[in-house]
Amino acid sequence: MAKHNLIIGGGPAATNALETIREFDADAAITLICDEPTHSRMALPYWLAGKIPEKHTHTGDDAYFQKLNVTVRIGERVDRVDPVKNSVMLSGGDTLNFDNLLIATGSSPVSPPIPGKDLSGVQPMWSLAHTQSVLDATAGMEKPRVVLVGAGFIGFIVLNAMFKRQWELSVVERESQVLPRMLDADAAAGVADYLTSQGVGIHTGTSVTEIKDDGGAKLVQLENGTSLPADIVILATGIKTNLELIDGSGITTDQGILVNDRMQSNFENIYAAGDIAQGPDLYGDQNAIHAIQTTAVDHGRVAGANMAGQDVRYPGSLLMNIADVCGLQCASFGNWNDPQAEVMTVNNTRQHIYRKFLWTEDQLTGAIFTGDAKDVGMLTDIGMIKGILQTQTSLGNWKEYLRDNPFDVRRAYIGAGVAQKLVGTTLTGRPARPRQFHFGGNKPAASVGPAHTAFVSTKAD
Amino acid sequence: MRLFVCVNAGDNQMAKMLNIVPEKCTGCMQCELACSWVQTGTFQPSRSLIRVNVFDEEASYAPYTCLQCDEAWCMTACPVNAIGIDDATGCKVVSESLCVGCHLCTIACPFGTVFTTPHTDTATKCNLCGGDPACATTCPTDAIVVTEGDNAGDWFGLWAEKVEGNHLSAMDGTRSAN
Repeated sequence: MAKHNLIIGGGPAATNALETIREFDADAAITLICDEPTHSRMALPYWLAGKIPEKHTHTGDDAYFQKLNVTVRIGERVDRVDPVKNSVMLSGGDTLNFDNLLIATGSSPVSPPIPGKDLSGVQPMWSLAHTQSVLDATAGMEKPRVVLVGAGFIGFIVLNAMFKRQWELSVVERESQVLPRMLDADAAAGVADYLTSQGVGIHTGTSVTEIKDDGGAKLVQLENGTSLPADIVILATGIKTNLELIDGSGITTDQGILVNDRMQSNFENIYAAGDIAQGPDLYGDQNAIHAIQTTAVDHGRVAGANMAGQDVRYPGSLLMNIADVCGLQCASFGNWNDPQAEVMTVNNTRQHIYRKFLWTEDQLTGAIFTGDAKDVGMLTDIGMIKGILQTQTSLGNWKEYLRDNPFDVRRAYIGAGVAQKLVGTTLTGRPARPRQFHFGGNKPAASVGPAHTAFVSTKAD
Repeated sequence: MRLFVCVNAGDNQMAKMLNIVPEKCTGCMQCELACSWVQTGTFQPSRSLIRVNVFDEEASYAPYTCLQCDEAWCMTACPVNAIGIDDATGCKVVSESLCVGCHLCTIACPFGTVFTTPHTDTATKCNLCGGDPACATTCPTDAIVVTEGDNAGDWFGLWAEKVEGNHLSAMDGTRSAN
């Protein structure tokens, strides 16, 4: 009999897992349970910015799941997992049995202990519902005033979306710098300086003591005595893994569910993927949670392949934080914060260009970049740095070359033969398949204009 | 190292790809002009999807663009499924109407061959011009040729050795002179 694969969650880890199971096994039974329609959290800010409609953030619909022969239960939650009976209990009371289970329930925002956090117009910005609620609250306002509490990665993704709408923005961060878990102090100082020049209010090293209602609007009271008026307040002070459903189940956890290189928990038929999974880290000895899209996708594909009976091993995720901060691209990779590493730094404070390479002997083990988001050269350099880190290539004498020429990553990349190593590698042992679900049915295809036809016809055989 | 295995285009049809012959490249940049013209309607090398690596110090040149790799990091990373495989060629293509401009593919691509179109803020990459690449048409020395099969990455290793050998030996010279 076909195995029953049960997947809990509706983010990229879950959808990639079910697509991968189907890729390897046409007959497996698959059930997906998620409380919101399957969607991509990373796309929510673009909905918030007014660039795309809500549906564009969705990663599947009824017809798609029907075609994949997946039973979908959207709007339902799992309350409890029983690894002994191989069953889950749904909040509606149903019990479902499984042969393989994937827990991909992700994470959710923590609620900071601030008086006034429950006022209407004070909320996190994390889910489809949160996005809708910000759009509703600001509908008709010409220039909503927004205070973001927390200057971390998520706060800044939201900030960028609101900046595109030209809203009036202020950021409050308890720590002494912005993006404390993504950039070092020097890079962060450049980002804060840039944001100030763009009209964003930056308040670091102080915390919110109270949020008061001020006749519908809010007044955000800071520890340093400042008080910021706001139409809405976004709480982005951190996230936590959604582990409630496995409380007391015997599944081993630390900050998340501890998984091996096949994404299995201590129960071999129970897998975890995405933000909730604490898995192998390419640049660390300990398992880590890398709550980012690319890791969620990799986790989902590795888990899916293994659930379908393959033996696919994950070399580990590469920590990679990338945020477009109102036109300033910021990125950090690997052990960007390693105090033991040998460091090379370029800091152009006038143009907000920052490059930091961190080394362990001749191996690059981390990097930090900031620069103009429209600088094509920098974006491709960032890609190449990612390639160097991902292949863990020793750069030999190219290390000294990069010390003298930090803007010529390309030559070191080519000379060290990085691309060659990457060309034949795949995660699951076979070429990646394109996803079959596309918003509005717009399947990507090459398009060439009349200029092309005219051009290629000029060459005589 | 595993040999390059290409994605099948359609049913059992070999995927097309560009094979680069660095020894033949003179660094004339015609491919960049041709690419920017047919892809964007401008003669703007900065918007070309193929980039000639010019390493003047060792007189080493080679055009470099998407290798249409098997893992397709750009495609798997995309949060809105805006990158797919063109049935006609097997190459990975971006749908401008689906791309939201998150830049994740440009950074996820470990080859550095996915770009951003500045005025639309959407991703763009080599789509092999739908099967008849303008860069190969225009190359006066046949340094860029379209192939079908599994050798697309092979040139890369030899060229890397050349760059590595020539450049580092030159650099050693300067260092010992210091």
